[in-house]
Amino acid sequence: MRSVLVRVLQAPGMLVLGGAHRWVAGHCRRVHSCSALVYRRHGPDLEQLRMEQWDLPAVGKHSVRLRMLAAPVNPADINMMQGTYPILPEFPAVGGNEGVGEVMEVGCEVGSLRVGDWVVPVDAGFGTWRTEAVCDATDLLSVPSDVSLLGAATVSVNPCTAYRMLHDFQHLEPGHTVIQNGANSAVGQAVIQIAAALGLRTINIVRDRPNYEALAAELKAMGADYVITEEQLHSTGLGNILQEAPKPRLGLNCVGGLSGGLVLSSLDSGGTLVTYGGMAKKPLQIPAKSLIFKNISLKGFWMTQWKRNHRTDAHLLQSMVDALCSMLRAGQLSPPALVPVPFQHYRQAIQATVQARQRKRVLLMQ
Amino acid sequence: MNGANVSCFAFKFIRLHKRELCRARIAGQLCRTHSQHDSLSPGHLLLSSRYMSHRIHRGYSSKSLVKDCRGLLYRNHGDPSHVVKLESIELPPVGADRVLVKMLAAPINPADINMIQGTYAILPDLPTVGGNEGVGQVAEVGSQVTRLKVGDWVIPRDAGLGTWRTATVLREEDLISLPSDIPLLSAATLSVNPCTAIRMLSDFEDLKPGDSVIQNAANSGVGQAVIQIAAARGVHTINVVRDRPDLQQLTDRLKAMGATHVIKEETLRRPEMKELFKTCPRPRLALNGVGGKSATELLRHLQTGGTMVTYGGMAKQPVTVPVSALIFKDVKVRGFWVTQWKKDHSQDEVAARGMLDELCTLIRAGKLSPPACTEHSLQDFKKALDAAMQPYTSAKQVLIM
Repeated sequence: MRSVLVRVLQAPGMLVLGGAHRWVAGHCRRVHSCSALVYRRHGPDLEQLRMEQWDLPAVGKHSVRLRMLAAPVNPADINMMQGTYPILPEFPAVGGNEGVGEVMEVGCEVGSLRVGDWVVPVDAGFGTWRTEAVCDATDLLSVPSDVSLLGAATVSVNPCTAYRMLHDFQHLEPGHTVIQNGANSAVGQAVIQIAAALGLRTINIVRDRPNYEALAAELKAMGADYVITEEQLHSTGLGNILQEAPKPRLGLNCVGGLSGGLVLSSLDSGGTLVTYGGMAKKPLQIPAKSLIFKNISLKGFWMTQWKRNHRTDAHLLQSMVDALCSMLRAGQLSPPALVPVPFQHYRQAIQATVQARQRKRVLLMQ
Repeated sequence: MNGANVSCFAFKFIRLHKRELCRARIAGQLCRTHSQHDSLSPGHLLLSSRYMSHRIHRGYSSKSLVKDCRGLLYRNHGDPSHVVKLESIELPPVGADRVLVKMLAAPINPADINMIQGTYAILPDLPTVGGNEGVGQVAEVGSQVTRLKVGDWVIPRDAGLGTWRTATVLREEDLISLPSDIPLLSAATLSVNPCTAIRMLSDFEDLKPGDSVIQNAANSGVGQAVIQIAAARGVHTINVVRDRPDLQQLTDRLKAMGATHVIKEETLRRPEMKELFKTCPRPRLALNGVGGKSATELLRHLQTGGTMVTYGGMAKQPVTVPVSALIFKDVKVRGFWVTQWKKDHSQDEVAARGMLDELCTLIRAGKLSPPACTEHSLQDFKKALDAAMQPYTSAKQVLIM
């Protein structure tokens, strides 16, 4: 058995919720453990998720121990638990793919992170619904700790998706137009704000609803140029808007079905429709003419895959997170309306996420 | 000197530059093999004397061309069998920068039919002559014409110039010359389908020998060109066709030109596909000329990160794309229009020339044959148009002027 260097940590407040120390016979070894939301099977009912005590491995020379501060509950997290997501962790698995933590301990060869740094996971499958974690330092990106906790906790999936879609598919310049459906979603709101910061105009499609006017006002307040309902777009098209704004070169689609088709038909020749979600659970129906004569390209975007493809390009990942955190700090980017939930009340948070049109829940571990 | 004609039993002409142009009709049937560059094929009996008058290759009387010019005109959009008429056409004088071209042969392509019907993306001003591709021979050149000379074989650089006619006067820059040693039917059908095929095989995915391409409408003009060009590049093709009574003959024909696999649409949904993919890799590239369910099935078999290129919509149904294919399989769905490519590269002589040279090299090497063609005289245009609009056609209708 390897003898482990015992670090006696004197800092107060180190004993976080659920942390514990154990003495192993013959050696003084402090073993941390944590509370984590664990599941051992897939299923539609989500009953399989349990709060458990988990031992943490010792911090190796390239590793880091962190305490989680906050972690949202995203639809992809639910799909992973249900077993319907394309990547599935091995069992037993800790739920949650996004969140922010604080570094508590660093291995002796870790140079990139220091105790006290705020960090977010690089990859999906981290298992963020837990009070502490030990991982390789390269599994983490640092974020400045002077952004809001909820902003940091929700920066690495949706704002990153918005950022990449606005940068990677079309060369856009100030004054160019982007059109999107699902504009009220977390990604949609991030697109509005990041586009506004980049000087791009946005045309934002939402479903009609009783409080449509209030919603439109809210989206415009965060920088949306135009807000239009699916029904309006279907019946009257973009006519008036196109007298003021150039035809959009980039369309962002998280709905699919007819809605996606409407976004596509609004695009300028040579434009790109990027699909990142399919909330209507219906395929896109693309007229051949759009592809052949208007040279519209259809592509997909999956943040998780992008991160895996660029896993070794730490600089690219870090610079994207830095850019987003600058916007958070400057107030150009705010997280959507979130509902903080104490960690132990996780069941409420999960249930709310499964229902439609709920605000995003964020678990608070501290 | 271009435009030589083949030697046949009854009429011996000097075979110049090995160009073979066999106009054989045997017992009313058209010889379909003569389009091959085949100096060993015995002469087929040339029966029609009408063709002979056009075979006096040197010294066309351009005056007679100008006087006797006729073409297939339409004044309204609509059903081709109603709106297209054979009429005399007055030709303008041959200006300094212009060229008088005697048309030799022009095919009837689906896009030509759509243009007449008024459903195509670009529509010429009416009245207009139909046909967007074909080969002609230069009969007269204006004083400022530098590149082209009398006798050159030429094809139009762009769509919309109206090729279903006996003669036309065009600007030099509207024409591209072709080498003198390829068969007539290859030249007549070169600029749309083989160009579409080679661009789709080259511009979307970096295909290496051993890679695979899957396509529907494999029996079409584009489809057959794809099979042959891919085979020449060592690329496998998985060729989807509709079921039909003579499927075995069709399969044999496509395999003879280099197809790796020929399967029915129904097979795409069956477990047999697993066996198929043991003998060749999953395709990186899918070529769709049909749309609808057929296109969705092609997508299903694409490799992660692959591309589907749509160049046609014969089923007149939209392309159904599941969202998961875009997000999790990272497939790209693109379109291709050869007319647009030509416009975008109108100043890029090197690119256009390079493409034609590559195709002509394949033709000369016997690696790229035109599709089976059914020839019609201009007078028989109604029959030709009707045949072109039939479903399950196995031959391209070509007007011989």
